Amino acid sequence: MTEKKTVRVNDVDIAYVDEGEGDPVILLHGYPDSSYLWRHQIPALAEGGFRVIAPDLRGFGDSSKPQEIEAYGMQTIVNDIVALTSKLGIRRPHVVGHDWGAAIAWMYAFLMPRRIDHLAVLSVGHPGVFARPSIEQRAASWYMLLYQFPGISEELLRRNGWRLFKEIMGRDGDHDRYLRDMARPGALTAGLNWYRANRSPEAELRPARPFPPVLAPTLGIWGAGDQALREEGMLGSAKFVKGPWRYERVEEAGHWIPLDAPEVVSKLLLGFLGTEDSAQAERRPRRRL
Amino acid sequence: MTDVVIVGGGIAGASAACKLSAGGLEVVLLEKQQAYHDLVRGEWLAPWGIREAQRLGVYDCFGAGGAWEIREWMTWDEAVDDDEVEAVDMTGFIPGIGGPMSFPHHAVCELMAAQAVGSGARLVMDASRIQVTAGREPVVTYRTPEGEHEIRPRMVLGATGRGCTVGRQIGVTMRNSMHHWGGGMMVEGLDSWPADVQAMGTEGDVMFMVFPQGFGRARLYLNFPAENKLRYRGEGGVERFLAAFELDCLPDRGKAVTEAVPAGPLSVWPSVSSVPEGPPLAEGVVLIGDEAGNADTVLGTGLSCAMRDSRTVCDILLGSDDWSPAAFDPYVREREFRLDRLAFGADIVSRLHVEFGEEAVERRRRARRLMAKNFAAQVTGLLNMVAPEDVPEFGFSEFFAERLFRETA
Ligand SMILES: Cc1cc2nc3c(=O)[nH]c(=O)nc-3n(C[C@H](O)[C@H](O)[C@H](O)COP(=O)(O)OP(=O)(O)OC[C@H]3O[C@@H](n4cnc5c(N)ncnc54)[C@H](O)[C@@H]3O)c2cc1C
Repeated sequence: MTEKKTVRVNDVDIAYVDEGEGDPVILLHGYPDSSYLWRHQIPALAEGGFRVIAPDLRGFGDSSKPQEIEAYGMQTIVNDIVALTSKLGIRRPHVVGHDWGAAIAWMYAFLMPRRIDHLAVLSVGHPGVFARPSIEQRAASWYMLLYQFPGISEELLRRNGWRLFKEIMGRDGDHDRYLRDMARPGALTAGLNWYRANRSPEAELRPARPFPPVLAPTLGIWGAGDQALREEGMLGSAKFVKGPWRYERVEEAGHWIPLDAPEVVSKLLLGFLGTEDSAQAERRPRRRL
Repeated sequence: MTDVVIVGGGIAGASAACKLSAGGLEVVLLEKQQAYHDLVRGEWLAPWGIREAQRLGVYDCFGAGGAWEIREWMTWDEAVDDDEVEAVDMTGFIPGIGGPMSFPHHAVCELMAAQAVGSGARLVMDASRIQVTAGREPVVTYRTPEGEHEIRPRMVLGATGRGCTVGRQIGVTMRNSMHHWGGGMMVEGLDSWPADVQAMGTEGDVMFMVFPQGFGRARLYLNFPAENKLRYRGEGGVERFLAAFELDCLPDRGKAVTEAVPAGPLSVWPSVSSVPEGPPLAEGVVLIGDEAGNADTVLGTGLSCAMRDSRTVCDILLGSDDWSPAAFDPYVREREFRLDRLAFGADIVSRLHVEFGEEAVERRRRARRLMAKNFAAQVTGLLNMVAPEDVPEFGFSEFFAERLFRETA
């Protein structure tokens, strides 16, 4: 893979991979990954005629790791993506996200309807569904509560040779790598801050604002073996998407779909990105009315 | 200007490189391997060693390198009846630390070396023909594929392990003794073995150890009499090694282990204890880790000692500009005291657990009875868990040892 580059945006350094030429695709990873999550899709998409941009989101990989919780609000992170794409001269990328990256991708689609072409979300459905989780989803999200206690969560995860962290991650995803990444200075707190800023019980109490409809053509992908995020999130997303909606369930994948079924994901993305009329094309006639 | 050259990038040398470079010294770490690989070393880290790792700032290297906390210790042994077998909880010996950890040794050394580099140390792999000349201004020469090199640092740390390469060059001699042989191998696919449980015991002519590393991996060790030193060598050695765990004392006759899959080299070695005949240092050179002397591996304290050495010496180097031999007196004294205790304990453990035949079995039976009656007689067992200075004094009296062996003779 090519070397990562770094840009300074919003007072943080964002490291990113930039490969290929063509219509731009932004790939957003989740917790506790980095752009490395997309190592199988990057060459496939570049080969398929796209320019692929895969950043290490703030707090992860080689990007800056501010230690304050407030630095990890969703809007701030969406701003990182906006600033990154503007610096690279990209106006309307396709946006693809997995896990937290999918949550960011949804948010990006709400906030920047004119700066998104196609949207593809893996594992994580529309936040409107997650705002009213079933008791089963709450049970599956138990670790998000554990992550809420600054200092204490870190100590619990880290002690006894990072035993609890390992038990939570199991043998999934790039499990060997996660711990090495999280052991880098400030990385664990930064990663947990994503949950503290956006998944705290207080956040659930805040009055919910209605979500703007998603106009971009949207592809949802969910792995049938996902232990952390249930299918309800993806199935329930359909009603929030006003653009064309497509749902793909990948039987042979767990939570880390890009790693568990790399070819399937590449193929789905290649068969989807740029194939539908994009949101703006749909909106233009309406504006003329 | 190089402050410290460290020869040998094992647990002792690599952890020292981390601590010294984090403390702002210019450090060069010389390691003879081209890349870290499984040398079959110790992988069971005692709770007191974990505390040393924390003090050295290398704790995360263990977790990230694959360390797994073990919580219970089962003794499955021909001298212990099935209904007597009980699990010893190992998580409470040192508050806040938890149980011992088992980890892939070379992966952790590699991460430590990388951490040292991250804080400014220079790591030289594939360094050969290292020559150390002690003195007020010590000299280190070595060779790499690029050629010959010379460094004139202020201080050299010798950390080459049992080979004692640096020690021999500065005239430190060792009194060696050998009680038995040992062998070790990493395995995977140990799926039916409970990951929280380590096991040890003796049966027939082997003393076995199983240290799980989580997710079906485990480090296996065998100790056996010297006359069997060829048994696990040559063709079929690996199979014979695994088959040796087919033991009546183990649940299911050891099936979980015998069906495991090798995941690293098998290494067999004489289990040597070395006690230095003088202080392990010279002007401008200090030895740490196994190179400074070590007890029999049967105790599983070599790693903890290596890090205690590393920490003590680094604290002296970072604490003052006086790097004369006299400045290391506290290290030399503490180490001698520690090695005395460990050698004493290792001797008891080897005589009880790594001797074979009917007489030895009877002795183990009687020792167990004595220990059941008088809890204090288990004092030697503490040496696995807490630092040697924290084990009660009476455990190191000849009187105690004599009594243990006389009453059990
Ligand atoms: C089979 C076995 C099982 C053991 N089990 C345990 C256990 O369970 N728990 C425990 O605590 N201890 C155990 N020990 C002891 C433990 O492994 C050692 O005490 C510990 O590894 C010592 O660390 P060290 O850094 O001093 O030496 P080593 O681990 O020997 O490291 C020395 C390093 O120096 C390098 N080197 C050697 N010569 C040179 C040279 N000339 N130039 C440059 N580099 C050189 C080597 O490649 C190596 O990387 C065991 C030992 C053995 C052999």
